[in-house]
Amino acid sequence: MKFRTILGAAAVLALAGASAPAADKDAADIAVDAAKKYAGTTISIVWEAGLQSLDPLNYSGPQWEKLTGIKVKVIEVPTDQMFTKIMQDFKSGAGAYDALNVIPSWMPDLARAGALEPLDKYVDKFGYRDELQDIAAAYRDNQMQYDGKIFGFPDDGDVMLLYYRKDIFEDPKVKEEFKAKFGYELAPPKDWKQFDEIGQFITDKMAPKVYGAGFFRTAPYPQYMFQERFRMEGGKFFNADTMKATVNGDVGLKVFKEMKAENKFMPPGVEQWNFVDNLAAFLQGTTAMTISWPPYGRWAAGYGSGEEALKWVPKSQVAGKVGYALTPLGRPELGVGFDLSVSATSKNKEAAYLFIQWLNSKKTSLERVQLPYTLRDPFRLSHYASEKYRGLWPDAPAYLDTIKTSGEKGLLDLSLLQQDKYDEAMTKAISSLWAGEDPKAILDRMAQQFDAITDKVGIDNQKAVYKVWAAKPGAYPQ
Amino acid sequence: MTLSASLNGAEQRRPSRLGRMLEDRLPYLIVAPAILILLLVGLFPLIYSLIVSFQRITMTENDTSFVGFLNYAELFRDARLWAALGHTAIITAIALPLELLIGFLMAQLFIDRMPGRQLFVALLVLPTVISPIVAGATWRLMFDIRFGPIGEILSFIAGEPVRILWTVNPAYVYPAIVICEVWQWSPFMFLLLLAALSNVDQSQLEAAEIDGASYLRVLRAIVLPAIAPVVAVACLIRGLDLVRIFDIIWALTEGGPGSRTETISLYTYVQGFSQFETSYTAAISFLVIALLTLITTLVLKRMELAR
Repeated sequence: MKFRTILGAAAVLALAGASAPAADKDAADIAVDAAKKYAGTTISIVWEAGLQSLDPLNYSGPQWEKLTGIKVKVIEVPTDQMFTKIMQDFKSGAGAYDALNVIPSWMPDLARAGALEPLDKYVDKFGYRDELQDIAAAYRDNQMQYDGKIFGFPDDGDVMLLYYRKDIFEDPKVKEEFKAKFGYELAPPKDWKQFDEIGQFITDKMAPKVYGAGFFRTAPYPQYMFQERFRMEGGKFFNADTMKATVNGDVGLKVFKEMKAENKFMPPGVEQWNFVDNLAAFLQGTTAMTISWPPYGRWAAGYGSGEEALKWVPKSQVAGKVGYALTPLGRPELGVGFDLSVSATSKNKEAAYLFIQWLNSKKTSLERVQLPYTLRDPFRLSHYASEKYRGLWPDAPAYLDTIKTSGEKGLLDLSLLQQDKYDEAMTKAISSLWAGEDPKAILDRMAQQFDAITDKVGIDNQKAVYKVWAAKPGAYPQ
Repeated sequence: MTLSASLNGAEQRRPSRLGRMLEDRLPYLIVAPAILILLLVGLFPLIYSLIVSFQRITMTENDTSFVGFLNYAELFRDARLWAALGHTAIITAIALPLELLIGFLMAQLFIDRMPGRQLFVALLVLPTVISPIVAGATWRLMFDIRFGPIGEILSFIAGEPVRILWTVNPAYVYPAIVICEVWQWSPFMFLLLLAALSNVDQSQLEAAEIDGASYLRVLRAIVLPAIAPVVAVACLIRGLDLVRIFDIIWALTEGGPGSRTETISLYTYVQGFSQFETSYTAAISFLVIALLTLITTLVLKRMELAR
């Protein structure tokens, strides 16, 4: 009996000893250990061309090869061709891609076509479920699944932030003058009326040296702003029962008219501004407010200014003078984003999965979102709380807190079957708005185009997808 | 040598039936591989596209069934397609005569020998060797409201700031495209017309001069008839190029504002590579092929009649 007890205790200790390292291991280590059996193979990953792909080219790819012996071939594809390339590979059955970067709004089309590998079984096999809980809810709950299955890991905390010039907003003389004129404190605008008043006030006072605000206005960027404003003002894209487009009602008209009117207090020619034009104007101090994705905040602070890859970014003249806030009305657009997925036609599915688990894990992703030259933005609770990240520049804590709050409150991009067609209709409509066409006529045309697309896709098919999308917490403000 | 021996020898030299057959068909056999490759490279994609145009292939759906003439019927209901054809026609109708006129005037200037003529001709031809996408991007910068020299020049002339949104304002967007297009391709017309003018019979010109014929009379009676075939070919080449115009507009306006400058090539690209409507794109392509074949045939017939 005594011997059996000792034997039993020894067995328990041995088991505990054996399982202890596994319990200590995080998802990154588990992925590395499991991937070592694939040493010597090569996996390919589709990544957005440009700055984004410097992550796997310079950092994560070589690191993964060092850890596991698996080579990573990065296939750089311009954003507007990524969907086509992924679908072409899937349709041909070539299996040229193993892992993929996927824009979440494409997920219904890609998953429905069968181009993406469901990841649930791998998540369970390699113990990744716990770490997925660390991904901010806005991304985890909205951008990870289709039809109840995991098809991608949210890997980029894309969200729109309001950037403003603290030095102007906190100037006592400017504040006093503003309060005397409008009766409230000069502060980051809470709604679009305040935004317009502040913008016009600064332009009247300081232009042409500084204009009240500047936005990117060329395709495809302004459609994300439209989507946000339209919903925050109470608009719905469709009648959920009939799937008839309802973008051309009073709300749409109000938003269009306001968007057009705002160009008047922005720098001349703002209608032609793209991402870089707007960035340059803000970094050079020409605009007092702008709305954009998180990289603007890092670059405005001068983070990564010595990087070779960021030589095209104008030297920030506003470092230390930039404040971060929620966009007016407080529910910013989670514009675009990226998921990491596995191609259904991959010949190395498990190796590809392990690579994306490692990339997306708490440990690796924290390093990746701090790479100054790529565009991946914080998307995990642990990123927002990271002491290392919060110490990168003096205002980094405020920056991370604003991203966290924005992410929590963020609104999803519309995501339907053949979403690109609805996006194109919105983009064209906004372009016509800048050209001076009648807003009502533009909106009516946009609604007609929406209806034509819905008819072509099939009203019942689209209605089912819209219902699922609209039920998500980030689809419409509650 | 006996007669019979001689006959035997002749019989021996006469090729066998197989040999005769080979001899007859040898030319065909020699060219057959080349023809086969040409058919495979040229005709197969065309036939394949034609088949695709009768199917329901899109990048996002798995249904590839045959739908008969559905895609072709859709063409007639597609207002954006006809608008795109209209925009193409407008650009062609404005740019082609301008290129011809400017090319002709430049050729007239350079027909006489002058110092540095070769250097100037080489410089004038430079725009045609630039990639159209680069030309479009360069002109986009030229038209830029902040950095563009065109705004500066206009402001200098007007004596006050002139701020024209060339690629946004509907009133200026076509002029912007035409300016860029004419800048790049007038030198092509110039080269062809310079060569044609150089070949006009000098004795006829001298005789007309001695007879005291006016410049316009000489132009109408001698020069234009002499260069007419070259003008027709030049117009045909440039006309077809203009119908296919893509790069310059893509770089300048991307078809905007809205779809105001979307040409048929841009629309086809958007349908095929942005909206993934593979079969419908094939149907559009065949519509364009049919239209271009019709126009080309009419022009060639007219040229034949003129000859």
